[in-house]
Amino acid sequence: MHSWGRVSPVTTTVDAPAWADQIRPAPGPVLAYGLGRSYGDSCLLSEGRMIETRFLDRILDFNPGTGLLRAEGGISLDAILRFCVPRGWFLPTTPGTRLVTLGGAIANDVHGKNHHRAGCFGNHVPRFELLRSDGTRTLLSEGNPRHAATIGGLGLTGIITWAELQLVPIRSAQLDVELVRFSGLDEFLELSKDSERFWEHTVAWIDCAASGRSLGRGIFIRGNWSAHGGLDPHKPPGASVPVDFPNFALNRFSITAFNTLYYRRFFGRTNSLQQHYSPFFHPLDSVQGWSRIYGKRGFFQYQVVTPTGAGAEPMREMLRIIAESGQGSFLAVIKTFGEKASPGMLSFPSPGITLALDFANQGESTLELFGRLDEVARSCDARFYPAKDARMSREDFVRSYPRLDEFRPHVDPGMSSDFWKRMNA
Amino acid sequence: MSDSPSYRTAVFGATSAIAGETLRALLADRPAEILLIGRNADRLETVAADLRARGAVCEVHATDLLNPDAGWESLLAGKEWDLFLIAHGSLPDQDATLADPHATGREIDINLISPVRIAAACARILDKQQKGTLAVFGSVAGDRGRQSNYLYGATKAALETFLAGLRHRFADLPAVAITLLKPGLTDTPMTANIEKGPLFSSASKVGEAAWKAIHKRKSTAYLPGWWRLVMGVIRHLPEFVLHKTKL
Repeated sequence: MHSWGRVSPVTTTVDAPAWADQIRPAPGPVLAYGLGRSYGDSCLLSEGRMIETRFLDRILDFNPGTGLLRAEGGISLDAILRFCVPRGWFLPTTPGTRLVTLGGAIANDVHGKNHHRAGCFGNHVPRFELLRSDGTRTLLSEGNPRHAATIGGLGLTGIITWAELQLVPIRSAQLDVELVRFSGLDEFLELSKDSERFWEHTVAWIDCAASGRSLGRGIFIRGNWSAHGGLDPHKPPGASVPVDFPNFALNRFSITAFNTLYYRRFFGRTNSLQQHYSPFFHPLDSVQGWSRIYGKRGFFQYQVVTPTGAGAEPMREMLRIIAESGQGSFLAVIKTFGEKASPGMLSFPSPGITLALDFANQGESTLELFGRLDEVARSCDARFYPAKDARMSREDFVRSYPRLDEFRPHVDPGMSSDFWKRMNA
Repeated sequence: MSDSPSYRTAVFGATSAIAGETLRALLADRPAEILLIGRNADRLETVAADLRARGAVCEVHATDLLNPDAGWESLLAGKEWDLFLIAHGSLPDQDATLADPHATGREIDINLISPVRIAAACARILDKQQKGTLAVFGSVAGDRGRQSNYLYGATKAALETFLAGLRHRFADLPAVAITLLKPGLTDTPMTANIEKGPLFSSASKVGEAAWKAIHKRKSTAYLPGWWRLVMGVIRHLPEFVLHKTKL
């Protein structure tokens, strides 16, 4: 089994129950495994049993009047969208890939481009059932501390057998999108602030290969649901990356060339278009197995959020370090998080700026780069993200999550993960 | 295709993952009234909930389909049926099964005897209605005896012959279709212990292809269609070549 980063695959025992009554939560240690889109080791357990949940994918109830959906924990957001879009409903918020399970989205309290309005995924799951290793099944509702512990709880509090998700109405599967080029971080922050009021979805792509005067340049992307355009769901993926790319395919030159072309892809400062939700929210899902472009060595994702109070300076410093290293990638995403708090005790988003980048695993030099980024992050009290991480230190984890002690008593003694073992070694 | 506004379907072995996906594809296409028949009432209810959310009118009936005296036939009486779908099957560890005569008989019962009994009962109804479709899940494994799964393959091959005969019998009734659905390697709980390679298809893709084949009243459909080519090659391999492989 491997996670999405493919850096350190594990060999372990795997159960693949087809029915809720077949889930064996004991003997431990066990860990539920959805679609393996976490990048590091938070979704892996090497000495124990992993329970693949993807066959537990049934919709148990749907109220077409209110948009409240109840489904098994292993259903993918992809399947939910194929179901709800033609009926005029959409996910309350969606991460950059729809190939994650409902249970996984809760356990990592994922966020999306509408965080400044909607908060996190965990803000929209009024109730779910948790199966503990002692065999008990408990219905947890908003307000229950264990509900809050399970949101962002990395699968450590038990197995989410089913969950309720509050969908939001849409009139069309299309979005009215505006792309605005910006030349640096200050302009990005200004655009973010200006856009929050009138744009439901905002995010920016940043050219992490640009340095000097171009440092921090990028394209701000903002969108609102269209009023017309039909309710067609996304199509199944077409292209796929069937083999691992050779390691040399991604280098300083191919990355710089891509980023420059991408930055220059339209004339003028802004560009308006109507776009289906699939390319807008899930641009990479139409290419199956895209992470293989990083080759057999795998890749890391680096994501932090720097607090609002710290301003743009730490982010600027990180971008400078990345550009200097020549190790950037295509996928550099920057967004401001809003004030809306998630119930999740270990929820990642907090008010501030978040930056997420992919890096091919080049061994020592990549880890060295991360070490330098970590220093900047620590200096401004930034927070790290377990779902994206394969290497954060225990100290950084503890510092990032002030509610960790409140969380610990909810951990099921029969559940564990490689990440959790690393954090408690 | 059907006079009834709602497509009336009875599914045997309704907890099969591929059957579930076939029904989801059916419901994406048209409204349907579905009777789910299988062994485990709770699991049937779970499937029914999913199908109801997708717009189906759904009923369940738990029974032992291996028992010839189970008496489920009365459930079908008095209604006109558009589709009978037979989906139950089992893919056990072959060596362990062949080592145990009882297990061997049981596998043949699940994969051949019971589907044949059900198909015969459904054929009587189709004959009376003078229309409707009987669709049965076979497998590409029935195309050639191979060391990896010849017990399973043999049952599916026999089932194929039985259905070919049934199709012959109804040849002068174009409103009756007998459809054999032959999935290739499919990523389902039944194959959870087999290492996945590029030949595996998702259950949803296979289910969609199955519904398309039923809708088009195909005689035999490989799911997905490219398995026809793959199995064409495997069927025509000379034995001395086949024996050099681990197929």
